Amino acid sequence: MFLALRELRFAKMRYTLIAAIMLLVSFLVLFVTGLARGLASDNASAIQRMDASHFVLQQGSEHRFARSQLTAADESKIREAGASESTPIGIRQFTVTSGAGEAKLDVTMIGVDPGGWLAPRTDAGGMLAAGGGEVVADAKLKTQGLGIGSVVEDPVSGRSWKIAGFVDGASFSHTPALYMTLADWQSWRGGEPSYTVVALRDASPAALKALKADEAFELLTKAQAVSAIPGYKEEQGSLLMMIVFLFAISGLVLSVFFYVITLQKTAQFGVLKAIGARSGYLARSVTLQVLLLSVSSYAVSTGLVALMQLVLPDSMPFRLTAQTYGLTGLLFVAMAMAGSLLSVFKVARSDALQAIGGNAA
Amino acid sequence: MKTILNMQDVVHRYRDGDEERVVLSGLSLQVGAGELVAVMGPSGSGKSTFLSIAGALLTPSEGAVTIDGSSLSGLDTKALADLRLTKIGFIFQSANLIPYLKVEEQLRLVSKLSHADAADAARRSDMLLERLGIRGRRRQYPDRLSGGERQRVAIARAWMNDPPLLLADEPTASLDEERGAEVVRMLAEGARSDGKAAVMVTHDSRVLEMCDRVLKLQDGVLVPA
Repeated sequence: MFLALRELRFAKMRYTLIAAIMLLVSFLVLFVTGLARGLASDNASAIQRMDASHFVLQQGSEHRFARSQLTAADESKIREAGASESTPIGIRQFTVTSGAGEAKLDVTMIGVDPGGWLAPRTDAGGMLAAGGGEVVADAKLKTQGLGIGSVVEDPVSGRSWKIAGFVDGASFSHTPALYMTLADWQSWRGGEPSYTVVALRDASPAALKALKADEAFELLTKAQAVSAIPGYKEEQGSLLMMIVFLFAISGLVLSVFFYVITLQKTAQFGVLKAIGARSGYLARSVTLQVLLLSVSSYAVSTGLVALMQLVLPDSMPFRLTAQTYGLTGLLFVAMAMAGSLLSVFKVARSDALQAIGGNAA
Repeated sequence: MKTILNMQDVVHRYRDGDEERVVLSGLSLQVGAGELVAVMGPSGSGKSTFLSIAGALLTPSEGAVTIDGSSLSGLDTKALADLRLTKIGFIFQSANLIPYLKVEEQLRLVSKLSHADAADAARRSDMLLERLGIRGRRRQYPDRLSGGERQRVAIARAWMNDPPLLLADEPTASLDEERGAEVVRMLAEGARSDGKAAVMVTHDSRVLEMCDRVLKLQDGVLVPA
């Protein structure tokens, strides 16, 4: 502590520069993480918020909801397979017009049982009424000028629905969700009763095994269903790669910086050891410096990210929870500590004998 | 007179390629409290090896070293570091102060390392800096001090833990005649007044008159000069 702090005080410029680099890297880590989380939510929150563990799709859908179509007979077959907690859903991306400005909106229509366990719990306004004629919308649609009581219309069939309430964070493939009753869904789609997928929860292992074995169906876990949303894997994959690289860069930059500084100070460490400092004390001193620099850089960058969030446009998908801040911070500091290992090793190897005979000058 | 440093039949060998070289061949030395001993010898005669062994930095191939009653044989690196901290004060050729510590912090570091009481340490460092005439410079970094002042800080640092043994490695090498004599006089007076044993490796013949004994390192043993 004694040495670590005084050296930071003495070589302010040097350590400020490295702290600035750490600050920028950790800012970028947080920014990209926030973007990745925001995009993930923008892409999949309608699925993620569902209290379902698995989804059953039509065979040959290749994990894509859009390609799946299940009949009423399929649905009862799934229920009879032992998955009693099952409920059918209709999902379709569609373009509607808002009654107000005749503006076209890309949305995802989701048909659910209004009394079932997938019925959306609204954050504003009323629940989805069993009677029909109403929809519950993703709160993002408020920015399009829609409010409770606004009307959205299918320009093809001429059907329209009134917005009863809003839910926060319900979008699918970057489009806001509109929930309607399954009955409305059926009459809007016309023809024989059909569904897109069947959601399951609390299904017994035996039921899951039977459904998996059934040639007529594809069984997906929720995570599989999320990553099968078009673009989801690609977006998250490339952002994750950036984050991993940023972590690696921050670890490497720190380790090179501290290694060079430690090399410069080898003779000094020799003197300190000669006058009686233990290797452990000196190693802790270096580690403490790394800890101080990484923690303070991260703290400042969380502040900067919070400030930046204030000026980001609402339409920008950016999402950072306290948990993500905490986890990212832990990883960042851990990476920095790993980067200091090389220096700690070098400190332990520095030889007190160097101090004798004028070698340490 | 109490013997502080006792080196008995110390032999040190090291391998240089295929050849085995003997640097010290049965060196014995006793230094008592209050005594300043000068060790001379041409370069390559083993002065650094001798000082490293006396200073618990290097373990000899054979022989026994005892400092203030404690034998060095069989101690691990941590125990040796602790022994150097409490029993030995080092004064190096070019002061070797820590560049980022102010003068009084150089002294406080030593007391920190030995977990001494902070108030006692402050009193002692004030006393030492006063005695060596550098109290006015106590808030300066080493790069603002002259060579003589730096060496005086090094002496104060060596005295900080009140060790029974002081080891000086050519302390006058980088100083002019006047400053060099002053530094050695301080070493000698300190040793006498506080009852410390002091060993100084030097080839500066101008300062020998202030030493109690002058020895020469020749063929791996110490002989009177």
